[in-house]
Amino acid sequence: MKKIFIGAVFILGSFIGQAQDSTQTVTVKTILDTYFENIGGREAWSKLTSYRFTAKVNAQGMEIPITVINQKDGKTMTKFSLQGQEMVQGSFDGESMWSTNFMTQKAEKSSSEDTENYKRSIGEFPDALLTYDSLGYQLELEGEETKEGVECYKLKMTKKKQLVEGEEKDNIVYYYFDKENFVPIMTEEQILSGEMTGKKSQMLYSDYQEISDGMYYPFSLTSQVEGIGGQTIEITEIEINVEIDQTMFNFPEN
Amino acid sequence: MKFIATILTGIIMFSAYSQGIEKLNGNALFGDIQARHIGPALTSGRVSDIEGHPSDSKTIYIGTAGGGVWKSTDGGVRFASIFDKYCQSIGCVAVDPSDPDNTIWVGTGEVWTRNSTSVGDGIYKSNDGGANWKKMGLEKSDRISSIRIHPENSQVLYVGVQGALWGPSEERGVYKTTDGGVTWEKIFYVNENTGCSELIMDPKNPDVMYASFWEHRRTAWSFSSGGAFSALYKTTDGGKTWSKIHKGFPEGKFGRIAVALAPSNSNILYSVIEAEDKAKSGMYRSDDGGANWKHMNADFGLVVRPFYFSRIVVDPKDSDVVVKAGLFGSISRDGGNTFKNLGAMHPDIHDFWFDVNQSDKMFAATDGGLYRSLNGGNTMEMIENLPISQFYHISVDNQEPYNIYGGLQDNGSWFGPSSSPGGIEARDWEVIGVGDGFRVYPHPTEPHIMYSEMQGAEQVWRYDHKRRMTRTIQPFQGKDDPKLRFNWNAPITTSLNNPDRLYIGSQFVHVSDDKGTTWKKISPDLTTNDKAKQNQENSGGLSIDNSGAENHCTIFTIAESGLDQKVIWVGTDDGNVQVTEDGGQNWVNVTPNITGLPANTWCYHIEASAFNKGTAYAVFDGHTKNDMTAYCYKTTDFGKTWKSIVTDEVYGFARSFQEDYKNPDLLFLGTEFGLYVTLNGGGNWVKFENNMPATAVHYLEMHPKTNDLVMGTHGRGVIIIDDISPLRQITNDIITKELQFLEMNPFDINEESTFGGTSGEVQFVGRNPQGGAQIKYYLSKRHTFGKMTMRVLDSEGNYISSLSPGKKKGINIVNWNFGMAAPKVAKGKTISFSGFFTPTVPAGTYTVEVTKNKKKYTAEIEVKYADNSIFSSEEREQQRKVTMELYHMTEELAYMVHKIDAYVQHAEKSKSNPKLRKLATSLINELNELNNTLVITSGDNYVGQAEKQLRENMGSLFSTVGAYAGPPSSSQMENFKKIKAEMEVAKDTYTKIESSLLSKYLKMLEKLEVSPPKIDSYEEFTKKD
Repeated sequence: MKKIFIGAVFILGSFIGQAQDSTQTVTVKTILDTYFENIGGREAWSKLTSYRFTAKVNAQGMEIPITVINQKDGKTMTKFSLQGQEMVQGSFDGESMWSTNFMTQKAEKSSSEDTENYKRSIGEFPDALLTYDSLGYQLELEGEETKEGVECYKLKMTKKKQLVEGEEKDNIVYYYFDKENFVPIMTEEQILSGEMTGKKSQMLYSDYQEISDGMYYPFSLTSQVEGIGGQTIEITEIEINVEIDQTMFNFPEN
Repeated sequence: MKFIATILTGIIMFSAYSQGIEKLNGNALFGDIQARHIGPALTSGRVSDIEGHPSDSKTIYIGTAGGGVWKSTDGGVRFASIFDKYCQSIGCVAVDPSDPDNTIWVGTGEVWTRNSTSVGDGIYKSNDGGANWKKMGLEKSDRISSIRIHPENSQVLYVGVQGALWGPSEERGVYKTTDGGVTWEKIFYVNENTGCSELIMDPKNPDVMYASFWEHRRTAWSFSSGGAFSALYKTTDGGKTWSKIHKGFPEGKFGRIAVALAPSNSNILYSVIEAEDKAKSGMYRSDDGGANWKHMNADFGLVVRPFYFSRIVVDPKDSDVVVKAGLFGSISRDGGNTFKNLGAMHPDIHDFWFDVNQSDKMFAATDGGLYRSLNGGNTMEMIENLPISQFYHISVDNQEPYNIYGGLQDNGSWFGPSSSPGGIEARDWEVIGVGDGFRVYPHPTEPHIMYSEMQGAEQVWRYDHKRRMTRTIQPFQGKDDPKLRFNWNAPITTSLNNPDRLYIGSQFVHVSDDKGTTWKKISPDLTTNDKAKQNQENSGGLSIDNSGAENHCTIFTIAESGLDQKVIWVGTDDGNVQVTEDGGQNWVNVTPNITGLPANTWCYHIEASAFNKGTAYAVFDGHTKNDMTAYCYKTTDFGKTWKSIVTDEVYGFARSFQEDYKNPDLLFLGTEFGLYVTLNGGGNWVKFENNMPATAVHYLEMHPKTNDLVMGTHGRGVIIIDDISPLRQITNDIITKELQFLEMNPFDINEESTFGGTSGEVQFVGRNPQGGAQIKYYLSKRHTFGKMTMRVLDSEGNYISSLSPGKKKGINIVNWNFGMAAPKVAKGKTISFSGFFTPTVPAGTYTVEVTKNKKKYTAEIEVKYADNSIFSSEEREQQRKVTMELYHMTEELAYMVHKIDAYVQHAEKSKSNPKLRKLATSLINELNELNNTLVITSGDNYVGQAEKQLRENMGSLFSTVGAYAGPPSSSQMENFKKIKAEMEVAKDTYTKIESSLLSKYLKMLEKLEVSPPKIDSYEEFTKKD
């Protein structure tokens, strides 16, 4: 598997991986089977209990280091550093979501709605594409569409509903799988609240690289709204099944 | 098997490389070239339909005449466009009562059939609240007036098809589906001239429906509303049988009929009819489900322009409250006996929506956007974030930034900037004409002089913006002249050769060489002058409607060659193309030389080529003859021969065209459903869809300096594609390269610094163009696997900054703001905001380096100061010297604090060692005492901040000196001396500590064999690459 990747990347200048047999009918199952085979296999990914990204955001000369930690039990933390000051965004300790208030530099709990919505997503570990079935999510093949200049399969994932201003709203994410190499290059969902309500937020995935024995992950994640205003997170290191001090997730009593 | 599959994929990939540009789809070609929308929204545009959620009053949809479908989920405060990819002319929107959160239907084709209305192309369905859509047939319906969904069965729908406006059609009638739109059955049909203009359903009994049928026809020169077949029908068996319900209506022919049912009482119906007997026109009421009708009212508000205003809406909670569309909109609170005008809003109201929970809250759809009332229609408030303005035409000037000028349907004439601090806001636009606006031009060399007009050239204005003076300048009929015939959208144009020249077309070409003060005719009647098409005073059918909109046999487009002012091309609305090569002394009708074009097809636009004076392009629009084909022809011999350059790839009839100024094979065609581009002179066309809705493009202009393509759209305002020059470079060779940098002209450093805009989030703000350097390259495949990075280096190879590269297949554009990497800033208790400042690089040559897996690609770019910069090189040098000294000083300070922190941290641990405790404590005290003068060590990032220390003061001076491109002020220089002196003191203090206490501490560590703290070198600490 690894050799195929290296050959694909460096000889043809692109990834080929396992392509679909052209005579086979494309279904959600065949797309995901090929995808997981290409990125290291379902079994390997299922063994993950935690991972830690070290990354940076570069905004026109200003570089911000970021660390993201996710655990199978849903505990999570995103931490970034500004001039040596560490700020936490969206940490979850099993009960509460919390973030650092930038002004006071103190921890504040997220709204109960945000916390509830996060709790509903617990189980999407390491990724919803692996666990969607057990979570009761629906995944359908919607058709084909060109994204990023690439012909893609469009998959629609219907997750658990989300609370938006107190009301239950559908929670739908579209995945675009490159038809040539069966990895997602974009996800897309409608923004349900705030100034951009109704527009589509997109996440681009690229720079797939090996993180551990045959397991591949996109090291470049770009968020944008309908193709505009891209902001990229460049991952520099991914560690899996790491020892994590569990107290760091806890909401700090100021 | 897998191995074979892999090989097969490789072959497929190889063959993809071997394909030419004609095989690229738009997404794979245009890449990062994006359209940006600048509105305006302060005028907004025509809203044709409003529909709400049956129980959630916060969810509202609007359908527009040319701007698609918009959705609000906050009760109508903010709207988002949800139908960009599809036909933007909307007849109706419907929400499925059984699944109102998800299932939405849209019937395309506006039903308010004015002369400028667009066309539809079928019915669409969304299963996810409007995020995604699928066409569900009825492609030839042209105009869908109504969609009624069975209240308990989402699979059963009834659709009213009004049908073709400009010709006969058998597609009209009432259609039914029982499988959610997969198949349709026409269940009621009258004839090819009479369509279903309204279909309503009794919400309590879906077998009961009412359908109004309207006999009507529009031509380019006339309109006819009414006939023997217009009628109101009722079914009580789900559409199997229909019967006329006219008891109480007057005798004679009918025109358009509106009908509405009171949701609170299904027996109460209201109808507004256009009758032969004017006294019997207007509002009727039935209290027995249409069995009997009583005439209630024939006031102006009830009978005005039925083709445009036949819509009644009844308050869902009170059957006596009824609103009627009209010039001003009317409301009755006594069951239709009497009416009064609604509160002040833009005239021409087409539809209403009552809040389902609170009837005092209502919405009105007008020619000037959507209005909201919170007090039952007394006070109307405009929604300010709907940029659905409908331009007929646009032009640009040569100012920096350039302005766009244009005229709008029912919303006057305007000009506004292509960029503005904080974005292009409502306040940036200025009105320079009233009525309907059409052609608007700036004087080519005196930008304060502007020309605008209203409908039918009733007024043509020369406006002196500087002196605020307006003069009416249109040519009048002279003693020996026939009546002048001006089109509704009369052609005015300026000259590329003579700045004071102005052309206007009636049936003659009129020219002025003194900005419109005096005119002379330079042509005979260039039209067919068909008298049968000149009876507009009789136009309208049952209701005379002679607004000037049907004026015909007129000149519609005039194009003077930029290469020779004696070469003038003219196109007429009745299908003539005429050309003169001697400034108007002799004209040749070259229309017969065009093959494949139906006779009398409207010549919408002629473009005189920038490359050859005998070359021109002519665009013809046959939609007013019910011909939806795109026609675009090219001649290279003054019209003696013509060649069609349109292919089957172009969808929708065409109105506008633009030739590139540099590459004669790069052409743009505006159609009723968007923009098409060809890179090979029309060999094949590709639709441009990057943030570009499928809206009608009425006019195209290219800015000669910026290479921006500017579009006047009839429904989405002004849309700009910035700098199309990368498209000039796309060749079959380039698209085979893994990564190919495109040629880039030197980039000007922008020295502006502004305070941004003032608009709130509920107001539309048009996007500005990207500033900085635009690094452009073409990728033949998307980069998905392996690492890809981008850096900027100076001419000596020094690292300047890192950028995030684009990775899509096609053209990628990466923006660099000319900034170098921000300095490392000392760690304190708080954030130093000035530490985020990135100094601008000096002019010079820079290298852009892309690393893609193991390969490196480089391109050199030139960065220069703008020609109009007010600063000398000496002044800039002063600024840069101080800025960079402060930059380095900031990093030196950061390093000093880094070391202090490391030693303090180490010494704190050493305090547990009795042999080190005393020394460590002294060291900590001395280092902390110094540190307290270097950075803030207490407080927060807001009003709890502590007294500023050296880091904050240094940062403040660094960012303020660095942000202004000119020399530092004398006060700043004094402060600079102070900061420098303080830094020297700090360094001395640190050196003293280092040579005394710290030295002792380190020696003691060595002696005790305790590891010292690991301190990065200065180079390591400040490394950014």
